[in-house]
Amino acid sequence: MSANPSQTPVGLLSQVTKRRGATQALNGLDLIIRPGQCVALLGPNGAGKSTSVALLTGRLRPDSGQVRLFGGDPRDVATRGRMGVMLQEAGLPRTLTVREQVDLFRGYYRQPRPLDETLRMAGLEGLERRRCGALSGGQQRRVQFALAIAGRPDFLVLDEPTTGMDIDARRALWSAVRAEIARGASVLLTTHHLDEAEALADRIVVIDHGQVIADGTPEAIKSQVSAIAIRCRTRLADADLASLASVTGVSRDGGRVTLLTTSAAGTLRELLARDETIDDLTVAGASLEDAVTRLVETSAPAQHQTKVA
Amino acid sequence: MFTPHTLATYGREARAQILSTARTPQFVIPSVALPLLFYGVMGLGLSKGREEVAHFMLANYVIFAAIAPAMFGFGAAVAAEREAKLIELKQIAPLPAGGYLVGRLIAALALIAFASVLLGILALFGGVTMPTWRWAATLGLGLASAIPFALIGLNIGLRLGSQGAVAVANLIFLSFCLFGGLWIPLDIMPSWMSKVAEFTPSYHLGQLSQMLSGMQPMANVPHHLSVLGVISVAALGGAWAAWRRQAA
Repeated sequence: MSANPSQTPVGLLSQVTKRRGATQALNGLDLIIRPGQCVALLGPNGAGKSTSVALLTGRLRPDSGQVRLFGGDPRDVATRGRMGVMLQEAGLPRTLTVREQVDLFRGYYRQPRPLDETLRMAGLEGLERRRCGALSGGQQRRVQFALAIAGRPDFLVLDEPTTGMDIDARRALWSAVRAEIARGASVLLTTHHLDEAEALADRIVVIDHGQVIADGTPEAIKSQVSAIAIRCRTRLADADLASLASVTGVSRDGGRVTLLTTSAAGTLRELLARDETIDDLTVAGASLEDAVTRLVETSAPAQHQTKVA
Repeated sequence: MFTPHTLATYGREARAQILSTARTPQFVIPSVALPLLFYGVMGLGLSKGREEVAHFMLANYVIFAAIAPAMFGFGAAVAAEREAKLIELKQIAPLPAGGYLVGRLIAALALIAFASVLLGILALFGGVTMPTWRWAATLGLGLASAIPFALIGLNIGLRLGSQGAVAVANLIFLSFCLFGGLWIPLDIMPSWMSKVAEFTPSYHLGQLSQMLSGMQPMANVPHHLSVLGVISVAALGGAWAAWRRQAA
């Protein structure tokens, strides 16, 4: 769905700073979520993802800068009534049944989704009469998702939604999220799974040290970070490895080296020719961690310079 | 402010809390079973049909029955739900301001009303006699006494972890019963205990309950009410500060 810049943003963080304890969690973060967008917020642990979500959902106030939800204060009941939230580590009342808990949250909203439809979308058929305390971790996540969609929200915030879910449950949740997007809802998703971000998001925002370091369509981001990771033990020095064909990054973890490359065949041919003692060799698609680390590494010096200046 | 939607939400929240409380034996047993059992054994059994003993103890036990639902409903349960981030989720959801606490209060009052009515029935069949208005006033005071106990419990629930909250709520629950003279009359206890009693809400509520049920002449009412007022306002301030701090 295309975003119209003239419409009021669903969520807006403008020049936001927030200190949490000793760390500067957000350092002038700018993020605008437009109607109909599904934005995946990626970044290493401690980058500021949770703080951004906490500000947008009104749980924290910024130290400076502006936070807006549908153009209003995220703490207003009316504004919150248009949002559904799935928190990363929220619990459920052990003694209430799934049906009772979902129905309770439906009641908070003025135009709730029908109970049966909510339960079906979250894949909770057959579990309605179970007490929440008797559910598995993945089932509890599905109840959390049901609570998030119970009010037919215009804005759906999903913080690590599929943690603890098996593959079938993840795919079922993805198709429910797609249905919400098709209905016109905007989504903010944080995740550690690149496949999840790719499956759902039409825009990816990478943050680190409380600032946005990359922002674009999945294709645009992939062309920056997508790479193949070659892992091996080698006696070549870092400088030699960096000079191999198509290598974009070199890092060491104990005795093993990780080479990021845009052409596995080209790099491997040279690597094997230069070091016949090579051992413990694997070739794989770069993980999200590789990709984000790469983006964070390359953008960090520039960011630090701006901070000083 | 109080639109039908808001009121309905309070109602649903209260119903959910009542269901959840009723299904938790750790709350129901000290809240309902203990006062009834103690009253049956000590108030009726040991009094051997002497009306004034059964009557005196009923006035105390109505207050006793209010402490556990308030202390555990607001102390231990709030701490557990805060730790599970359940309160956080409700603060994000469009639940009207205070809806969570109103729901908890209604659930505690329902439990207290249930226990008090059962106590009253037990006392009636045990031979306690008093005019109807005294019955109503005595049981009504039991309900009202939920407020100071709930506010004290809320301080525990908002400030301590769930393990600590259960321990502290139990400790305060037992000391309020003991030092407030609800189980054993203070006249037969060492004199230092009556000095401690002055600082407990249970003592002052117990005294008022004795007066309302006609076991004591009305005396020092403004004193008892003002001590209860000071304790409640202090607890309200403490709870307000803790509630604000967790939403920083």
